[in-house]
Amino acid sequence: MSDYDGASATASDTHAGETPPVITPPADDEEATVTEAGTELERTIGLSGGISIGVGTMIGAGIFVFPGLAAGGAGPAAAASFGIGAVIALLVALPTSELATAMPKSGGGYYFISRALGALPGAVVGLSIWLGLVFATAFYLVGFGSYVAAVLAEAGVAVGNVPIVIPFALLFGVFLTALNLFGTENAAALQNYVVGLLLTILVFFLGYGGLDALGVFGRASTPETFAPFGPLPVFTTAALVFTSYLGFAQVATVAGDIKRPGRNLPLAMVASVVIVGILYVATIFVATSAFGSETLASFGETAIVEVARSFVGSTGAIAILIAGLLATISSANASILSTSRAVFAVSKDEIIPRFASRMNLRYGTPHVALTMAGGPVLVLVAFGEVEVLAEVASFLHLVMYCLMCVALIVMRRDEPEWYDPAFRVPAHRVVAGLGAVASAGLILFMQPTSQIVGVAIMLVSAGWYKYYASDVQLKGVL
Amino acid sequence: MWGDLPGEDLIDADLVIREPPVILLPVEVLEGQTIPDTVVEFLAPADVIVLGYHVLPEQTPTEQASMQFEDRAQEAVDDIAQSFIDAGGDPETRVVFTHDREQTIDRVAAELGATAILLSNPTGEISEVLVPIRGAIDVGRLADLVATLLAGGAGHVTLWGIAAGEGSEFDAESAVDTAAERLRGRGLPAEQITTETTTAMLQIHDIVDRSDEADIIVMGEGRESLLAVLLGEDAERVAEGAVAPVLVVRDRDPDAAAADSDGETADAKSATTEDETAGGSAPEPQPDQDLDADDPE
Repeated sequence: MSDYDGASATASDTHAGETPPVITPPADDEEATVTEAGTELERTIGLSGGISIGVGTMIGAGIFVFPGLAAGGAGPAAAASFGIGAVIALLVALPTSELATAMPKSGGGYYFISRALGALPGAVVGLSIWLGLVFATAFYLVGFGSYVAAVLAEAGVAVGNVPIVIPFALLFGVFLTALNLFGTENAAALQNYVVGLLLTILVFFLGYGGLDALGVFGRASTPETFAPFGPLPVFTTAALVFTSYLGFAQVATVAGDIKRPGRNLPLAMVASVVIVGILYVATIFVATSAFGSETLASFGETAIVEVARSFVGSTGAIAILIAGLLATISSANASILSTSRAVFAVSKDEIIPRFASRMNLRYGTPHVALTMAGGPVLVLVAFGEVEVLAEVASFLHLVMYCLMCVALIVMRRDEPEWYDPAFRVPAHRVVAGLGAVASAGLILFMQPTSQIVGVAIMLVSAGWYKYYASDVQLKGVL
Repeated sequence: MWGDLPGEDLIDADLVIREPPVILLPVEVLEGQTIPDTVVEFLAPADVIVLGYHVLPEQTPTEQASMQFEDRAQEAVDDIAQSFIDAGGDPETRVVFTHDREQTIDRVAAELGATAILLSNPTGEISEVLVPIRGAIDVGRLADLVATLLAGGAGHVTLWGIAAGEGSEFDAESAVDTAAERLRGRGLPAEQITTETTTAMLQIHDIVDRSDEADIIVMGEGRESLLAVLLGEDAERVAEGAVAPVLVVRDRDPDAAAADSDGETADAKSATTEDETAGGSAPEPQPDQDLDADDPE
């Protein structure tokens, strides 16, 4: 056998009866990564796990908050707005995928930007995405509180005049943080069950609504002009609803733990954008078929509940409220986990003290990073301004998306020796260029308050970098 | 292949395991798990790979854990490796941080083409070896490994055939006889071998119950089944309940077996030889069936 000479180191022992041991080093970056000291890091998250993270992070806001607002803005053409949002998300997801397969390390956007553009942009993105995720988590938790209040009201439980939204949001924030601190396997398992159950409810709802809209149940659906307000509102509405696509890049924060990253990372990111995109468009279609867009707009943020009620009465309303609860749980939990990983990524590079990535052996969890995720979230929840929270989170994410697209173009131009992505974006200048312009453009549509808070956070991050970490060099360091 | 080499011992060519066997020793290294000296001694005839692993919850990146605990894990594994070196061995070491213990053990075992995996439990002097033989297991591999580990010693082997009950296709009697024959053929004195057969529905339960009679249990992997998915792999369940360590003999790697059968003579010969000894009535081990397909017989 030809291996014989190759295996001569061990061939002095008499091997027989079975193929000689050909000691293959672990296929690097496929099933396990090897550290400098020779320790192996097993990759354990598969494709479905990656999709679950992407879908689970994104789905919290889009379906339950936006249909009424969007229909009010663009009429049934709001479905097209969600479609446009999905296309922009894909324009960013493709460059992110390429970067992630070239650098399958935990840290996601921060890692790519710091390696391609240098430590200062990296630090600004890394720190502001930590805070951006904190804002997003707070937004989801307040959403959770609202759903609890709505479920109680729907079920006829009297709570009197006591405000319960914020207390429930705070309680649940503490619960999720504790679960991640002390749970051994619970957190990941919880996430998968929640996403699974949520998708099941949504598919039933959309299936029934879709058939109903087509007249299967013998009820005429509301005929309405597709774009009653003309084409322009379709685009402004797209800017509004883009928030519902934030989160696909979170898949890249677990890049270090994903099996066969060259295949699974791009697939998971693109698939999760496509899945939620289809769900969003279908939801708008069903909602605008059930009611006229003016009626929908008057329902505001609970529009989708009224749609479900119109199908099967209060059972439908409660089912969709529970789905909303699950969606906010899933997004909040996924965001807390991403925050902890974002903290780890910047602390590993000593942009913040290494202390932040300490973990405890007893529970095996990163307690410092999780506390740095959960603590500020509770403060923001108590503050309670939902719309500002959501927009600031979007602002900071969009800055990262824009810079990731720039990072791709820079990487392709410099093409360092180690840069060997398994997946290459076709026509990368066009795709990444459009992605960058679209991300930056969406920022301009935001409220001035959110823009000011966002810029302030980035300035503070830059100041911190100058003060604490100005000697850190990251460009091109693997 | 190996038989063609000048000076190659032809008896060895009949083996269905590698000689010396490669034994993977997974150790939960940061939990302070250690390996009893008696086990170190028992494994002396084998090439040992010490696999130190640490299992993390999914919310913790493996990279984060390795940053903080890598050195400690490496040291602990080296300590265990040292006990094998002191006993005259030359162990390899691996350190893995993982979220999934079974995935890691399976991966490393497959990479190394390990013959068997030792699931450690406390034990004293190893003199009594219990070999439960159930259906669909490569009896030849079990017997060859036991023979190699016990060679020249006074250890006693109980070959215990367990049939699943009425109507079972598995012929426990002949499987046990084949194994005994093979052990004697490898030079183990007949008085060191006991054979017996029973019928049992709750096989895993019965094996665990008997584990206090043995100093080590040697068994096959068992088939993938729905039950195994729900309850965990057979051998893992035995190791969890038993008071003795469990040496799990892996099925031959399908890839390796296929490569071997590619017009190679030595292995085809070994398969034929085994058929003759088995009298054709023993349960056919899966990989060897592949070989038989190529056999002109």
